[in-house]
Amino acid sequence: MNRLDDRLNHLKAENSKGLVAYLVAGDPSIQTTLELMHGFVQSGVDIIELGIPFSDPIAEGITIQNAHDRALKNGTTFSLAFKLLQDFRKDDNQTPIILMGYSNTFMANRKFLEGKNAKIIDGLIIVDLPGEISHKNLGINNDSLHSITLIAPTTNNKRKRAICKNASGFIYYVNFRGVTGSSSLDFEEITRNIIELKSTSNLPIFSGFGIKTKEDALLAAASADGVVIGSYLVNLIHQCSPKKNYKKIYNYLNSVAKAIK
Amino acid sequence: MSKIELPNKDGFFGNYGGKFVPETLMKALTELESEYNKLKTSTAFQKQIDKDYAEFVGRPSPLYFAERLTKKYKGPKIWLKREDLNHTGAHKINNTIGQIILAKKMGKKRIIAETGAGQHGVATATVAARLGLECHIYMGAEDVDRQSLNVYRIKLLGASVHPVHSGTATLKDALNEAIRDWVTNVEDTYYIIGSVTGPHPYPMIVRDFNSIVGRELKIQAKHHFGKLPNAIIACVGGGSNAMGIFYPFIQNKQVNLYGIEADGRKLEKNKHSATLTKGSPGILHGALSYLIQDKKGQVLPTHSISAGLDYPGVGPEHSYLKDIGRVNYFPVNDEAVLKAFHEVSELEGIIPALETAHAFAALEKISKSYSVKDNIVVNVSGRGDKDISTVAKLEGISLE
Ligand SMILES: Cc1ncc(COP(=O)(O)O)c(C=O)c1O
Repeated sequence: MNRLDDRLNHLKAENSKGLVAYLVAGDPSIQTTLELMHGFVQSGVDIIELGIPFSDPIAEGITIQNAHDRALKNGTTFSLAFKLLQDFRKDDNQTPIILMGYSNTFMANRKFLEGKNAKIIDGLIIVDLPGEISHKNLGINNDSLHSITLIAPTTNNKRKRAICKNASGFIYYVNFRGVTGSSSLDFEEITRNIIELKSTSNLPIFSGFGIKTKEDALLAAASADGVVIGSYLVNLIHQCSPKKNYKKIYNYLNSVAKAIK
Repeated sequence: MSKIELPNKDGFFGNYGGKFVPETLMKALTELESEYNKLKTSTAFQKQIDKDYAEFVGRPSPLYFAERLTKKYKGPKIWLKREDLNHTGAHKINNTIGQIILAKKMGKKRIIAETGAGQHGVATATVAARLGLECHIYMGAEDVDRQSLNVYRIKLLGASVHPVHSGTATLKDALNEAIRDWVTNVEDTYYIIGSVTGPHPYPMIVRDFNSIVGRELKIQAKHHFGKLPNAIIACVGGGSNAMGIFYPFIQNKQVNLYGIEADGRKLEKNKHSATLTKGSPGILHGALSYLIQDKKGQVLPTHSISAGLDYPGVGPEHSYLKDIGRVNYFPVNDEAVLKAFHEVSELEGIIPALETAHAFAALEKISKSYSVKDNIVVNVSGRGDKDISTVAKLEGISLE
């Protein structure tokens, strides 16, 4: 049981939908990421998904690719991201934090993900790790971390069953065939697939990829237990960072949170 | 070494390989694997490939005795396996001929591929043209510049070239972009990977199609000198020409195998592409294999005089063969490569690709370990026409 279990149980008890917000560690700077994370929580975000920058993020569209590039150019490393999380935890020991990234960076930095220090995080989403295996297959020995698995529109029933058996925390339903940030959501297909998934797993299902507006979030949350907002937020952060008018981001998150709760 | 067939059912060669891709692609990989396993044993498929190899590619490629090179090194007899004589000018066509049949069988309408030197792009555009399939080639912007002849060839063949500006703008980034295209268009698109890299089943499929080279060599060696060669030398980028010529000899332990990597600039420590010699295990483009990366798990920029070797990864089976000690891998630098490029041109009347020139550059060192009674084979993976302007530029010669 960690913060993620607590938060998911709480949402269920309240019969409330969850809002997950993604941002890239170190974009535009580590200090800003810390500020934004606290701001997100105050704006009604339930779970934070912190992107760990990688040189070759194959599942990302141009918006998040550029954010990874900016973060790496800033000198963001796994160890600096961890330091940032330690600072965050000084003021917030409740909001679940999930790291999202690629197998290679997690494998190379596994020492951060084991032992007592790793207690500041609650789960991992490893985009290029097949759902039937988990972070343990990358040599990361930590049973208390959730391995959040993804299911796509192309996942067949046999794989769905295998992935659901292995899943913990929540299941991340990928809304479309494509990289992050692409447009056009087919809500009919999304709804159909999420409802079908619910007959395979008892875990909460979160819908992510391509959610931009409050209306998108509402439509997705009609069948899903929560939504993930990624590229749209990363783009907003990029737009707002020269003038530091992050209020615009918080207002947006607030309106989404209110709408889906 | 055991006779166990590799990869195993999960796509691993020992510790290396696997399918490290976004979930959206898993279905496509499973379908590809099952289609391939079905076709592999079909005699109709084998017949079609044999016919294409003979009548379109011009196989078998000759095994040629390099008399003047042999004289020069005063040691073993040096033989050349002439993949440069294949249609389109390199070994890459062996793979695309096979994969396009798979694509067709799977009902795919759209073909994508990455390319570094442009040889795989040309070989893919060629087979797509023959079947009238839409074809898109991703190529790093830097490679578009240094391999402009091949870019134009690809366009003449009716395919589109998409320059990739992200990251280091070379082969690695072309692969990233091709994978992103595939994730987006997975239902109607077939991705023809150009080397023994990528997620399972690609390393196996590309190896199998290229192993025609080693199978022919076995027969030709018997014919020309009555026994197996003592050594085989091939350059290693992703590793497809090397895997193709090595594979049929893996169990023949008396045959020494040498894989030659790109050491890049002699005096600049981090300007190389010698993945197996200087890298460490990591995950890129769907497979766990040796990788040129920093301690924090970020992939590092590479350098090679040849675009086709300028890649931070390597096929997982090579990582396995390195660890078990079956293949001896070592690097040669750009300077030695240029010297070999000229030497082979002048001594044998064969202008090799810069990639191939890496294998020739290793002759000096390797031939010392063999006697005049021995036979060693160099895999001439491709011809050098595409590199003429690069070499001229490096040597300050204007071709305008
Ligand atoms: C002529 C030639 N040789 C070798 C290579 C390297 O690839 P591989 O190591 O897969 O054979 C290339 C790649 O473009 C090539 O064009």
